[in-house]
Amino acid sequence: MNGLLMALLILVAVSALGVVFAPQTIYSALSLVVTVGLLAVIFLVLNAQFLFAVQLIVYAGAVMVLFVFIIALLDPASEERARLTDPRLVLGVLAIAGICAAVFIAARNGVTYDTSCTHQAVSCMHGYRVGSGGGAADPYHTFGFPAAQVNAAGNVQTVANQLFHTYVLPFEITSLLLLVAAIGAVYLTRRTSTATGRGGAARPARPAPDDLPRESAEAPRETGERPLVTGGR
Amino acid sequence: MFPYILLTAGFLFAVGVLGVLIRRNPLVVFMSIELMLNAVNLVLVGYSSYLNSEEGQIFAFMVIVVAAAEVVVGLGLLTRVFRIGRELDVDDLDEMQQ
Repeated sequence: MNGLLMALLILVAVSALGVVFAPQTIYSALSLVVTVGLLAVIFLVLNAQFLFAVQLIVYAGAVMVLFVFIIALLDPASEERARLTDPRLVLGVLAIAGICAAVFIAARNGVTYDTSCTHQAVSCMHGYRVGSGGGAADPYHTFGFPAAQVNAAGNVQTVANQLFHTYVLPFEITSLLLLVAAIGAVYLTRRTSTATGRGGAARPARPAPDDLPRESAEAPRETGERPLVTGGR
Repeated sequence: MFPYILLTAGFLFAVGVLGVLIRRNPLVVFMSIELMLNAVNLVLVGYSSYLNSEEGQIFAFMVIVVAAAEVVVGLGLLTRVFRIGRELDVDDLDEMQQ
C-alpha cells in the first residue's frame, strides 16, 4: 500500500505540473481533472471514503464540468509560453524549491507532528477514533487500508456524527454560503447587466433586453471605456 | 509515508502559487487556486489519517464546499468580463489599481 500511495503522490505531482504548464487552457482543465481524481484515490487510500466520494462528485463532477463549460463558452486564446528568464517564473521555481525543502525537512524532523506518538499512547490521539486500535503493527500509521476496522466503524457514519454534532453550526453556515454563491452567480451572469437594468434611462436606447451577448458587448465600447465593475450604477 | 504526503502537498501548493504568478489567463489562475485548495485538503486528510481522527476530514469537506462556491462566483465574474467585451488577461484587468 505504501508503494501505491507513493505512485499516486508522484502522479499527482506530475499532473499538477500539467495544470500550470499546459499551453492550452483546456489541457490545464483536463490535467486538473486528473489531479483531483488522483487526489480522490489518495483520500481513499488514507481512509477517507466519504471525502473520496465528495471529491469525485463535487470536484470532478461539478466544478470541472463548470470549468470545461466556461472554457468552451469563452474560448480563451492560448497564451505564449513564459520565457525561462521571466523573473516571475524564476521566483516561482525558487518558491517551489524553498517550500518543498522546508516542508520536507520539517516533516522528516517531526516538527509538525510528534514522531514518538504511537498508537498505544492514547494521549497523542485527538478527536474521534475509527474502529478499535491496532497493535504494534498499527495499520493507520503505515497508511494501510484496514477494511475490516473501517467498515466496522463506518467512515460516513463517523464523519456524519462529527458533522451534525460538533460542527453543526459551520455546516449550516456552509449551506448559507452556497445559497449566497448561487444567488451571486445568477446575478452576475444575467443577460441584461445591472447598469442597463437600473440606470437604463441614462444610456442610449437599447434594442431589446434579450439581445445577443455579443451585441450587448458592443454598447460599452461605444460609450467609452466603461470600467469592469458595473455594479452601483 | 507521512512526510511524503506533506511534501507532495507542499509541492502542489507551490505549483499553484507558481501558476498564479506566471499565468495570465484568469481561468488558469482559478485552476491554480483550486490546486492550492486541494493541497490543503491533502494535508488535512493526511493528518486525519495520521492522527486517527475524523476532524481533518470535516475541515476538508468545508474547504471543498468553499472552493465550489468560489469557483461559481469566479466563473460568473469571468463570464461577465467576457460579456462586456474585455480580453481575458489578468494583466489587462487592472482598473481597481487606478
